[in-house]
Amino acid sequence: MFKSRPLGVLVVTVALVAAACSSDSGEIDGPTIKIGSANFSESALVAEIYAQALEAEGYSVDRKLNIGSREIYKPALESGELDLLPEYIGTMLTFLGGEASSDSAATHSALQAAWEPEGISILDFAPAQDKNGLVVTKATAEELGVSRTSDLANFNGTLVFGGPPECPNREFCLIGLQSLYGLDFLEFKPLDVGGPITVTALESGEIDVALLFTSSGVILAKEFVLLEDDKGLQPAENLAPAVRTEILDAYGDRFANVLNAVSSVLTTTELIALNKAVEVDGEDPDKVAADWLDALGLS
Amino acid sequence: MIEFLGEVVAWFADPAHWTGVNGIPNRLWEHTQITVLATSLAVLVAIPPAVVLGHRKRGGTFVVGAVNIFRAVPSFGIVVLALPITVALGLGFGFWPTFLALLFLAIPPMFTNTYTGVAGVDSDVVEAARGMGMTERQIMTGVEVPAASPIILAAVRVAAVQVVATATLGAVVAWGGLGRYIIDGFAIQDGVLVFAGALLVAGLALVTEVGMSYLERAIVPDSLQTAGNEVAGIAV
Repeated sequence: MFKSRPLGVLVVTVALVAAACSSDSGEIDGPTIKIGSANFSESALVAEIYAQALEAEGYSVDRKLNIGSREIYKPALESGELDLLPEYIGTMLTFLGGEASSDSAATHSALQAAWEPEGISILDFAPAQDKNGLVVTKATAEELGVSRTSDLANFNGTLVFGGPPECPNREFCLIGLQSLYGLDFLEFKPLDVGGPITVTALESGEIDVALLFTSSGVILAKEFVLLEDDKGLQPAENLAPAVRTEILDAYGDRFANVLNAVSSVLTTTELIALNKAVEVDGEDPDKVAADWLDALGLS
Repeated sequence: MIEFLGEVVAWFADPAHWTGVNGIPNRLWEHTQITVLATSLAVLVAIPPAVVLGHRKRGGTFVVGAVNIFRAVPSFGIVVLALPITVALGLGFGFWPTFLALLFLAIPPMFTNTYTGVAGVDSDVVEAARGMGMTERQIMTGVEVPAASPIILAAVRVAAVQVVATATLGAVVAWGGLGRYIIDGFAIQDGVLVFAGALLVAGLALVTEVGMSYLERAIVPDSLQTAGNEVAGIAV
């Protein structure tokens, strides 16, 4: 092709290098951002949204989703195995030993202060909240005449409660339900984290009360009844990106702005619709995330 | 490391872990119970048909192949897939989906080994038996099964140990057993709990292995104890 061999080699080399530079690695130079999530679908979905928004901006991203419970992914984030993940401000603050309240802004600031010593920054919080919620079937709600969590105390010792295996160790789960509401369940069945096993158990009558999440798409779709948290056990649980301060410093405002823009339009209503698409309609999370970002002009 | 092992020892030494529904005796009992039940039922379901098929030596490859397809289905998948079925049958979560999965785990090796063992009995021996006037049924029970007993019992032993190890999966669908320590410990990242559970499972598996070996020694005819494989016609 080329008369002069060295020239040909040079052209091919330059072409290859140019191709390598402009492929997956994006246009922005810097460390690859490792994005993680907890082991339930909403967390993975929001993490996927963060990932696609950053990729659209030109950042190079590596996904490590569905890692596990907080005890697993928190150390991973602090040690640098992960750089970014979506968190819930109330539970995380309590996990760090702080006092969470239903005031989103106060809880958010307290979380920033509490986690900063470990080198983690919290970006702006989204309006969307996802709290632990006790759920019963429509039939159970009518039969027992319950609409609030405190109503369950009238049936102490008779109801079977199902939730994630860590529930008995959680302040906002069984521990709080026992101490604040005085609830005493007949039995606790360890299932999964608000996933299909728990939903099947509730539908089939295996359990009477399930721990699901307030932004779950399943609650509306299956006509379950979400019991009101009338004594305010659950604190503000807005979603916010938790990111290693090192990464934030490396990339600066432009990086933070991408994620803040996503957070500003993520309301609880939007979150429920996103969850419904994945959990109930069975759509692919990657596609759901992409469509959502497209519709909002964020990708 | 030493500190961690110290914590594990302390866990076992804690009397609270030996009482109640989540105590070691209860979980061991649940685990042993499901293992015995699943293995026994698998023996009843897998071995007689396999003996008959092995004796007839017809269509065996096809049936063995079909049965072996179940080896490819992960037990975890069966436990979860069984849920709608057990729910529809009113059997619920916990024990039954786990039992079903363990049954599917234990049957294929027992079936395959029994078929191979019986089909592989030295044909001269079978012919001699026929020549002596034994009925087909007498040949199966008096010649082929005893001759193949080392292989059959080996399969039962291996299957039983696999069932012990896999019964831990039941904890995912709200069953108890020793898997409870592993799954719950993992959810709260309590390494000591996970390790203790794993130790208990390993211990039970070892006991099962040793116990079954003694059973083999008791059942397999003396003349076949060591090199009985010559009659069985199969190399170990």
